[in-house]
Amino acid sequence: MSLTGYERGDGRWGFRNHVLILPLHQILSSSAREIEAKSEGAVAVSHDWSQVIEKDHERIIHSLAGNATNPNLYATVLLRLGTPIEDEVIARAKKYGNTKLIEVSLTEAKSIENLTQAGIQRANELLKEAKAQQRVSAPLSAIILGLECGGSDAYSGITANPALGVASDELVAQGATSILGETMEILGAEHLLAQRAITKEVGQQIIDVVARYEASINYEGIDIRGAQPSRGNIEGGLSTLEEKSLGAAKKAGNAQFTGVLEYAIAPTKPGLYFMDTPGHDIEQLTGFGAAGVNITVFTTGRGTPTGSAVMPTIKVATNSEMANAIPDIIDLNSGTIADGTQSLEENGKLIYQLILDVANGQLTKAELGGHHEFNLSRLYGSSL
Amino acid sequence: MSITGFAHKGRGVGVRDHQLILPSVVCSTHVSRKIANEVGALTFAHQNGCGIIGIDVPGVDNFFIELANHPNVQSVLVVSLGCETIQGPELLPKINRELSRLLVIQESGGASGTYEAGVDQAKQLRDNFKSAPAVIEKLVVGLDLSRSVENLSSLKAALTEAGLELVIEDQLGVSEHNLAKLMSKNAQIILSFADDNQPPSGFPLIPVINIASASPLHLALAAEFDLPSTATAQEIIELITAVGNGQKTKSEVSGIGEIVAPRSVRSV
Repeated sequence: MSLTGYERGDGRWGFRNHVLILPLHQILSSSAREIEAKSEGAVAVSHDWSQVIEKDHERIIHSLAGNATNPNLYATVLLRLGTPIEDEVIARAKKYGNTKLIEVSLTEAKSIENLTQAGIQRANELLKEAKAQQRVSAPLSAIILGLECGGSDAYSGITANPALGVASDELVAQGATSILGETMEILGAEHLLAQRAITKEVGQQIIDVVARYEASINYEGIDIRGAQPSRGNIEGGLSTLEEKSLGAAKKAGNAQFTGVLEYAIAPTKPGLYFMDTPGHDIEQLTGFGAAGVNITVFTTGRGTPTGSAVMPTIKVATNSEMANAIPDIIDLNSGTIADGTQSLEENGKLIYQLILDVANGQLTKAELGGHHEFNLSRLYGSSL
Repeated sequence: MSITGFAHKGRGVGVRDHQLILPSVVCSTHVSRKIANEVGALTFAHQNGCGIIGIDVPGVDNFFIELANHPNVQSVLVVSLGCETIQGPELLPKINRELSRLLVIQESGGASGTYEAGVDQAKQLRDNFKSAPAVIEKLVVGLDLSRSVENLSSLKAALTEAGLELVIEDQLGVSEHNLAKLMSKNAQIILSFADDNQPPSGFPLIPVINIASASPLHLALAAEFDLPSTATAQEIIELITAVGNGQKTKSEVSGIGEIVAPRSVRSV
């Protein structure tokens, strides 16, 4: 079937044409939310960063600048105070992509009320321009797929995750990009993933990133293998972190790994990647958004409503009971595999088809619900 | 100084009568905001409650408990997802049992079911339990000293003389950590002296009176400060009295200020 999208002129494609409202200081977050509510379709995020230079400075600047230029955006309205640190974010964003960047400054607006009004006006002008743009035929290589799971249960590794792996393999085979994240959730399975690396060096990188991750947690005096799986996972039937990891890694199918990415760093050529992200669902989504992921599939066993302002996020249920109980959260049910009414391949093809449908404009449940969770990931002292 | 506030059973007397929709995890912040917007309650975005480890678990848990038990709070609806680290059903018994309720998204028909039930419960909590007016004998005022303040000792003496109880946080730099700690100390009103290079601040549950410095940024943002750098102790006391009796601060009108929970360990 045909794929359509918005060509960005920097080699990347978008499947949405959003106008993002991005506050560059936490006190501008409430204004961003109000602009979203009162404009004709802008999306906003909020965060708690006060422009302090901290150990995680680079990670934060990167997360903000990367999300400001995600290929699903037509434009970003940056709400700012007028400080030099904001100039740093904006300069970085200009390096990352072609997204139109419009600045609205509190020191120029003089008051929050004026800033909000100016933001609404600019957003509406940009939305008008965005709506006038036409989708054009796009190659399958336009897809940069994010693979995520959250609230995993005992079904995750036998239903939704391997079914998503079928879809990921099919897309990668056709020249698309697919990114597996959540370092904690490959811990214990890293040797298996390393065997699938395209070169010995990439294989070693996978091993190294996992070791670095475990050391960063041990730095805090915590044995991650004792802290995970989470209580929600255990209630969902998972026994050990290794079991969780073996299931989580199945999202990446059987394709070769082309490379390893640091948190929020964009891939430079197609293929399957592993990205070092926290398992925290929203920190992972923020990292994917900054890396230019333009569509995410999120498998869930317990059911979680979260989404992203910059990426359509498809929820796939691992079991039918949950899928039927909270249909307003779930886009597709892979519980049918455990029920015996669908094969893994059949369900995987449905996920593949849904990825294309959503890329072509079909709205996800998270989009319909207005979910725009966002979270600046910090390593604090444990930035190994 | 004569201030009439609101008697909040189990929480003390507050200068505000806020209903708090408390998301126990980032995943329930959006549903919480939808409920809060519909019923006129307060809520806040945050990125906590799951994927946290070590000392951050009791740290975030205690922070949520202190927010829920703050004297400016009339009632609380905790909105939980169900599979997170900070479990709603365990959080609820640790907060004031008066006028506190819980909804779990995964057990309440998802986001839409939780929204409908949440609006219903929040309205019941608000409409069936009117707070009685009560005189505040000793108002607790927090001082956020994010910058060095001239004549601080004479200001403190004047505030104490006026019958106020002072609690102080003086970590220099951004205000957010001081504000959170002042909340923990049950400050009912906060006087914030923002750093010269930081804008005015706010805190959802607490009226924050922002007092400017003479820095270029503060002069440029004069409209968002409640008082200029030249404000006298008498003017500050008069404004505290007015705010205590219901006058809104600039930050309450604009709604600025995200809540920052104490964190020191990376998310897993």
